[in-house]
Amino acid sequence: MTIVDQQTSTREIETPPESDWEPRIVAFICSWCSYTGADLAGTAGAQYPPNVRLIRVPCAGRLDLLFVLESLQRGIDGVLVVGCPPDHCHYGEGNLLAQRRFRLLKGLLEHVGVEPGRLHFSWVGASEGPKFARVASEVVESVRSLGPSRTLVRGMYAASRSALVE
Amino acid sequence: MQDLTMQLRDTARSLLRDGKVGLVIGYEHGSVLLRTKPCFVRNADDTDRLVWSPLCENNIASYLLSIKGRTAVFVKGCDARALLCAISEGQIRREDVTIVAMPCEGVLDRRKLAERLQGRQISGGTVQDGKVTVVGQGFSESYPLSELLPVGCVHCTHRTAPVFDIRIGDAAPEIEAIDDYADVKAFEALSPDEKRAYFRQELASCIRCFACRQACPLCYCVECFVDQTQPTWYHKTGDLSDTLLYHVVRALHLAGRCVGCGACSRACPMGIDLTVLNRRLLRDVQELYNYVSGLDPEAAPLLSAASPDDPQEFIK
Amino acid sequence: MDAKVITKEKLVELLDQFIRDYEVLAPVRQGDAVVFGQIQRGSDAALDVKRTTMSPKGAFFPQEEVLFIFDGVEAQVPTESGARVLFGVRPCDGRSLTVLDKVFDTAEYPTVYYGNQRERTFVVGVGCNQPPDTCFCTALGGEPFGKAGLDVLLSDLGDRYLVEALTEKGERLLEDSALLQDASEEDIKEGKILAREAREKLNVDLHIEELKAKLGGMFEDPIWAEISMSCLGCGACTYVCPTCHCFDIVDELVEVGGNSGRRVRVWDSCQYPLFTHHASGHNPRPSHRERMRQRIMHKFSYYVNNFGVIACVGCARCLTGCPVNLDIREVLLTLAER
Repeated sequence: MTIVDQQTSTREIETPPESDWEPRIVAFICSWCSYTGADLAGTAGAQYPPNVRLIRVPCAGRLDLLFVLESLQRGIDGVLVVGCPPDHCHYGEGNLLAQRRFRLLKGLLEHVGVEPGRLHFSWVGASEGPKFARVASEVVESVRSLGPSRTLVRGMYAASRSALVE
Repeated sequence: MQDLTMQLRDTARSLLRDGKVGLVIGYEHGSVLLRTKPCFVRNADDTDRLVWSPLCENNIASYLLSIKGRTAVFVKGCDARALLCAISEGQIRREDVTIVAMPCEGVLDRRKLAERLQGRQISGGTVQDGKVTVVGQGFSESYPLSELLPVGCVHCTHRTAPVFDIRIGDAAPEIEAIDDYADVKAFEALSPDEKRAYFRQELASCIRCFACRQACPLCYCVECFVDQTQPTWYHKTGDLSDTLLYHVVRALHLAGRCVGCGACSRACPMGIDLTVLNRRLLRDVQELYNYVSGLDPEAAPLLSAASPDDPQEFIK
Repeated sequence: MDAKVITKEKLVELLDQFIRDYEVLAPVRQGDAVVFGQIQRGSDAALDVKRTTMSPKGAFFPQEEVLFIFDGVEAQVPTESGARVLFGVRPCDGRSLTVLDKVFDTAEYPTVYYGNQRERTFVVGVGCNQPPDTCFCTALGGEPFGKAGLDVLLSDLGDRYLVEALTEKGERLLEDSALLQDASEEDIKEGKILAREAREKLNVDLHIEELKAKLGGMFEDPIWAEISMSCLGCGACTYVCPTCHCFDIVDELVEVGGNSGRRVRVWDSCQYPLFTHHASGHNPRPSHRERMRQRIMHKFSYYVNNFGVIACVGCARCLTGCPVNLDIREVLLTLAER
């Protein structure tokens, strides 16, 4: 959610002081294997932290890199993309296309300052409930150790433009 | 280069006279010293306008995306690769283009020259035999062209068109060192804070004019993502986050396609080196997928396919 | 106020004095470019630069400007107050302000935003001893030591500047400054010679009167397609131009579907395809040909008809910034000779 400042441009809801901060993770999960796997984690009682919000896509191949960027711009601290394991994609090879695209995105975002450890990709099969829970937990811990995201967040860079006249 | 200019003109003249093409695209003398500009010739009698030299900086492949009919282009290696990439993406028909390969050993970077001149005005200048010579009031100086190359040429790996219909002159000798992406590795080694600070500073100058996008021969979307309003990805007001978003996404949309010609940086009115982002992707694409764009007009675009053999160590 | 002189060292002190009392904007280096930015010390001003990359129009017509902030049905217009000094403006850029005034600050349609900025700004100009050879202000009625749009004009006499207050505002800015001394007859004469010599260096004739007369009838001329062939539509020309002033207005909401947020004006360019894209999908300027024609006709025909002045000051930023060396001087000559 963006808050509009009077003098500067948009900024995000201020994150609470470090001690109260909880990482916010968005997971893009495909409707077939991954969703089933994530659901199974729930029914099997395999706990994973509430920090992870799931966004369902028909296939990991639907992932537009702009989804990840928009997430970072809104101050999301970490992103997880989950697709069907190789050879299990309902649509053929959407999962493979996604991993190639994601790998290049990850490299470029790390080049602009996103810490390695914020962007994750995983294969989760329909029966792999515990795996989903484990991966989600790992991602949360990985992001927790990095602190709040500071790259691409809207509003943070306003000060650098204030002294210049374009 | 004089001889190359003559040969170029002869070729253009016969292509037009024989009706092989209806239009020839090359370069002609610019309106200021040490400058050329894109030239469009339809008449065989007009071919004396065409020139060839290290001043032929623009990537003229761009024009073929909007021009219909049989056309000949006099291209450097980078221009040709962009053209081949556009052909592989179905944007231009191979049979409509006559690719005339010119030898290129790099073009002059006008900004680097301006740095040497320190505000002094020149009244004359030439670029010949690898040397740039300038004269002005009270001075006459010479610099090796190799010291005044733009970023695209410094890292060039294909100086002459890899696929062509006609070749003029000998193919330019390839640079001995393969691009080792040392600059990318060095930047990669910086801390996230340092990287952020670098982009914050560089992109503070960005005025979001999109000249980089327009100059790029492979940015040809009818509706660019920055113009989408439903949903709105890119916000028009001044947040540096959106400036960075634009450059990151544009680089990503060129992943596996960018040929490293440097037209983007050259077009930037503020002198920002935009290739820093593209070079990271050029390195990754080559190292991870052994893919180099613009060499084969029949190649499948990199992101239209994937292999189970792709490196997957990053996948949980 | 009579003409004054100030030494080059004292000029830096004068700037420091201004900084103590006002916000001061001057040319500053930013990477490879030179823009107008706020300075904290007189020595930070890059006075050796002949032509800044970006014009000073952003000081009056910013690239992003909040028009108002709204919350439900209440709106607040942010206003900036306090006087400020815009220093180091070349006469072409000074003249460009008088061109923009015709649109943004007229008696019939004054604006809070631009008008306020113009009112609170002292514009201090510096004449051009050695205009770059691409400049063509003289072809359009301007000159290297022109006074239009400026409150003060500085002329570089070598070791010192001649300082002339041109308006009541200029006098107010300079009054009581102990750093200024009275100019001698010699100083004033030298200033005049300098101005004349600079004008003579820029003897450019682009047949503008001929062009103004015939341009109106050239709308359907096939020449536009030829002229615009190499144009990339990048819009760099419109961004660096001191008189281009097209804009877009966007609303940003705090929450999607909510009713509080702000309305912002941002620069736009007639060179972008979306600029005249209608909601129906029709675009009356579908290609570079129509958009190039628009740019030239707006500046040299429509603006003349509407406001009596040409919307170009001959600063040459467009032709030096253009990636394909599209030279407006050549375009104007081609059209005039049609």
